[in-house]
Amino acid sequence: MGEPAIISVRDVHKVFNGHTDRAVTALQDINLDIGPGEFVSLLGPSGCGKSTLLRVLADLTSPSQGEVTVNGKTPRAARADRDYGMVFQQAGLFDWRSVQRNVELPLQVAGAPKDQRRAKALEMLELVRLGEFAKHFPWQLSGGMQQRVAIARALSADPSILFMDEPLGALDEMNRERLQGELLRIWTDVRTTVVFVTHSISEAVFLSSRVVVMSARPGRIAASIDVDLPYPRVAETRTTPEFFAKVKEVRQVLHAAESEQAPA
Amino acid sequence: MTVTNIPATPGAAAPRDGARPPGGKSAAGGRPSGERARAARGRLANAFGVVLVIALLAGIWEGYKALGQALGDRIPLIGLGFPVSTDDLSMPHLSSIIGALGEPASSGDSVSLGMYLVGETTVTLREALYGLTAGALLGLALAVLFLHVAPVSRGLMPWLVASQTVPLVAIAPMIVIWAGKADAPAWIAVAAIAAYLAFFPVTINTLRGLKSPPATQLEFMRSVGAGRRQTLLWLRLPAALPFLFAGLRLAATASVVGAIVGELSAGTGRGIGRSILTFAYYYSNGPEKLYAAVLIAALTGIVFVQALAVAERLALRNRPTR
Ligand SMILES: Nc1ncnc2c1ncn2[C@@H]1O[C@H](COP(=O)(O)OP(=O)(O)O)[C@@H](O)[C@H]1O
Ligand SMILES: [Mg+2]
Repeated sequence: MGEPAIISVRDVHKVFNGHTDRAVTALQDINLDIGPGEFVSLLGPSGCGKSTLLRVLADLTSPSQGEVTVNGKTPRAARADRDYGMVFQQAGLFDWRSVQRNVELPLQVAGAPKDQRRAKALEMLELVRLGEFAKHFPWQLSGGMQQRVAIARALSADPSILFMDEPLGALDEMNRERLQGELLRIWTDVRTTVVFVTHSISEAVFLSSRVVVMSARPGRIAASIDVDLPYPRVAETRTTPEFFAKVKEVRQVLHAAESEQAPA
Repeated sequence: MTVTNIPATPGAAAPRDGARPPGGKSAAGGRPSGERARAARGRLANAFGVVLVIALLAGIWEGYKALGQALGDRIPLIGLGFPVSTDDLSMPHLSSIIGALGEPASSGDSVSLGMYLVGETTVTLREALYGLTAGALLGLALAVLFLHVAPVSRGLMPWLVASQTVPLVAIAPMIVIWAGKADAPAWIAVAAIAAYLAFFPVTINTLRGLKSPPATQLEFMRSVGAGRRQTLLWLRLPAALPFLFAGLRLAATASVVGAIVGELSAGTGRGIGRSILTFAYYYSNGPEKLYAAVLIAALTGIVFVQALAVAERLALRNRPTR
């Protein structure tokens, strides 16, 4: 990748409960560069440190060692400038706010005037195809719709990066595949850089331009695999031999990394 | 009769994934109309229940009295006396209690007892309302303070708990004396006593509410660069609202009790507490007057709590039904 990295991680370690006998090395020797416009998935078994790495990037936790830059700044500065938007596994919408006012929230924090907020929120809701639900309340929506609202909310302050931690993890398979398609459509529309945490191989391959495979105990990057399937990817992409081949390749790397770690 | 069926906390957010498909025809932002009708039916059923309970209590009162009169206040075979004798002095007929409300408050008076008691009740309600307002504000401020300054919370909380275990009859005269020394009018002392009882449940419940948002929501606020103040204003306080109301309901009943007890200690000339004391003093001259005053005092508490319930329904109208 010739372009300058929008996210760069240098020699990052993260130890939880250091100085105690319950110390856990969640991340070890992490080095990672992500270029603008990439869709990178962090893939690995549960507990391998995917969320921790994402949270380090998002300044929701700080690394024990190492350097991280996001948009050429410290993660803290990037967070304060709303350079990234965040989507969690739980939509976490606020029950007492309408869908529209939920989407406005990042702009409200930024101090944007009311009419500007409203216009932007409606635009984002159109983007996730929920324009007609602006006046509804989150608890009136299905889980998949709530997650789309969460995506609209994450994008409303025009971040250049989108961090997503298993955002589709709580959905059933049907909804999940539909939302994967939606997500790619949105991504081609807004062209943000995406860092996407998942433990699903096929989800990672279908969505990403690159899959970063992690292994557990301690959490490390085992491999980085480019996914050269052309965009736009559609439902039929999942049935192509190229897709199957990629899934197979990633699976082999993942399993090789695991057996190397844990002699089970 | 008690209407204070108050859970300490509103239950944790129920899972509602995909439970409510949005009906296209629902009013803007409101609930689907079927749900609204169901809520209205529920309220009607509640009202019916209240009437039923009142009728039942009245029936028990009069039934017990009739039975006692018929048996000469003695349980047959066992020969034990009735715990409360049923003569008209101890247990006036409900009709004479209600009837007393229409008669002059005292002989030669132009004001009926009912009107008089309503007037006194207004005085008490005002004291209670001042006390509740002051107590709620103090309670809220303490909750926010405790949330943000953990050492204060650890240091002060035991004292607050202790303050609530000291009997009111010991505290009330002290507050009255302090207020007197400060040349404050008596109603201030009464309101202060009401506030003293009101702030505690507000603090405890609100603090729980402020801590109730799940990690995802708190981290979301952090991810958009929200500071403490914004997180408090837009996440923690709205999330605490149902908890605040649970606390306020406890505080409302407590503030009425505080105001009534306060009136007795402060020696104010007016108020329903004062009336109860007066009518107790002249009990043999008109027992139904005391019962009428107690009845009105009880109704006062109910009205107060109900008014609060209406406010709560309004404030939480857009929340999911639990
Ligand atoms: N706040 C924390 N305190 C202690 N240990 C933690 C904490 N968060 C994560 N860990 C540990 O760090 C490791 C990686 O966790 P996580 O990043 O959540 O994994 P993943 O998201 O890949 O499932 C796990 O062993 C987990 O138990
Ligand atoms: Mg995780």
